[in-house]
Amino acid sequence: MVPIKYNIRSLRNRWVSSLMTILGTGLVVWASVLAFGLADGLDHTLAISGDPLDLIVMRKGATSETNSIISESTAREIDTLAGVATDAAGNKLYSSELVVVVNTPRRGEQAGSANLIVRGVPPVGKQVRTGFRIVEGRENKPGLREAITSRTMARRFVGAGLGEKLDIFDAPFEIVGIFEAGGSASESEVWTDLEVLAQATKREGVRSALQIRVNSPDDAATLMNRIENDEQFGLKAVTEPQYFLDQAQAGMAIKIVGRTIAIVLTIGAMFAVANTMYAAVASRAREIGTLRAVGFSRRTVLASFLLESLLLCLAGGAVGCLGALPLNGLSTGTANWATFSELTFSFRFGPAVLAQAVLLAVLMGVIGGLFPAIRATRMKIVDALREI
Amino acid sequence: MTNSAPETLVKLREVSKEYMRDKIHVPVLSNTSLDIPKGEFVAVMGPSGSGKSTLLNLVAGIDRPTTGTIIVAGQVLNDLSESKLTRWRSHHLGFIFQLYNLMPVLTAFENVELPLLLTPLSKRQRAEHVRTALRIVGLSDRMDHYPRQLSGGQEQRVAIARALVNDPVLLLADEPTGNLDATAAQEILDLLQQLNEEFEKTIIMVTHDPRAARRAHRMLHLEKGTFVETELDALEAAG
Repeated sequence: MVPIKYNIRSLRNRWVSSLMTILGTGLVVWASVLAFGLADGLDHTLAISGDPLDLIVMRKGATSETNSIISESTAREIDTLAGVATDAAGNKLYSSELVVVVNTPRRGEQAGSANLIVRGVPPVGKQVRTGFRIVEGRENKPGLREAITSRTMARRFVGAGLGEKLDIFDAPFEIVGIFEAGGSASESEVWTDLEVLAQATKREGVRSALQIRVNSPDDAATLMNRIENDEQFGLKAVTEPQYFLDQAQAGMAIKIVGRTIAIVLTIGAMFAVANTMYAAVASRAREIGTLRAVGFSRRTVLASFLLESLLLCLAGGAVGCLGALPLNGLSTGTANWATFSELTFSFRFGPAVLAQAVLLAVLMGVIGGLFPAIRATRMKIVDALREI
Repeated sequence: MTNSAPETLVKLREVSKEYMRDKIHVPVLSNTSLDIPKGEFVAVMGPSGSGKSTLLNLVAGIDRPTTGTIIVAGQVLNDLSESKLTRWRSHHLGFIFQLYNLMPVLTAFENVELPLLLTPLSKRQRAEHVRTALRIVGLSDRMDHYPRQLSGGQEQRVAIARALVNDPVLLLADEPTGNLDATAAQEILDLLQQLNEEFEKTIIMVTHDPRAARRAHRMLHLEKGTFVETELDALEAAG
């Protein structure tokens, strides 16, 4: 092997071009980490939103809760079916809910507005949400125009902050609490009392969906069958994970766009790396000729220049990953195309995302460095030794 | 493998070399034969383009003859594949270049160590060999210096140490004093002579300098790709 210090010192020797290449590849890795982290964050939000023992019941044909309508009387009948779990006090863990979409201005100048999901929930509704807890303020009281929301929504929408008043169908609702729901899609919503929301939106007697907790997967299957097969209901029941899987189209778009951008940028970076390495090979022709004359094989010279290219790109990869880390956990939003509302989620740079970024850097190094390295090995020793 | 007589280290038989330039055949060496016994110090002179460096490259196996046979240390070079030739070179040859050809980013020690990286020697054994080689060329106190921190003469000494460190049977020197002032050139020639006399290294040296050629046992004159053997005294008389 040609000693690795030969490569490291050669890179240091022409530090300006090395640094530029490192920054260039670093920038690409940074952008790719962001794109992958975004997709991963979205996946995470939708993945943890579902508990297989929680069922969502909607009208047949509805693609989401926002376009599902169930009459209150039908909702009550479902309540009586076998398989619904109960809490310690014997209350059925069954929540009939009303979901409306409210166009609300975003905070910040020229931020525009987005559709916000407002969910009317009976008191039991909070019990059927895994990980639900109030982290600031208090719960909304039944019968009052009070609402609670997540920290992210409070930050993103006008009137959604703690103590502020949010307009829902022209009725002001005071935000009295901030809740967490394990980072799930519920954190992209504003919750208020079911009856109060029904009055405010003039939708008394109407429900959007039912949220039901069951005790076992068997109960889930039985109950789902029972609901789906009863023609009178005209309803369908799905488990939460299935529901959110169906909603993941928003994530698909981000993933496809993100990956396409990452691939295009990576190809661009490969050309930059190739350019740097071609220059390196050209300027060191005599050194290459000497190595070959001394007895280093073509393969060894190839490996040496590939290694140099790889070192360059791994340094860029490290710069890109380190540069992206401060954004880990930073939240953002996207349109949920199933509900036409805003879905908030955070960048997540887990090991998988960072591994993908390192893989990109390795690809840049190997493919970008391959052709210059091959050129180095193809040089005729006699000609290479003549280069000044 | 063909075994030649042990006393003959380098054997060329009817070797010709042609290059193609712009679709025109340019003959460089024509039907040349040559024997160099082990332990000999040979100088090769001749005008530019006479084929001196080509001869050296052919003996080193970094170029291939168009026709003819080249045998070095009993090995027919024509028979060897590119990779075998590369390996063979690392064991049998030491190369000394006009422009020293040191790796600018490696220290004197590391430059001399390079050929040893192709051997199974341990790190400690390599270090011993490198120190010995640098001591022979008189640069024990410059081991950690980079080429840019050395004079031309010192750089060439490092290059000679690198050529020497594998203990090769044959040293090939292409204008080793061509880039040095008179004093440094004399020192390098002293060193080559010492390597030939004390360490019994066979040396083929291409040079333009008659004073350099005088150090050799024998001078070969190349004219248009053909050898003309000349007595050194006759050369001196000719000035």
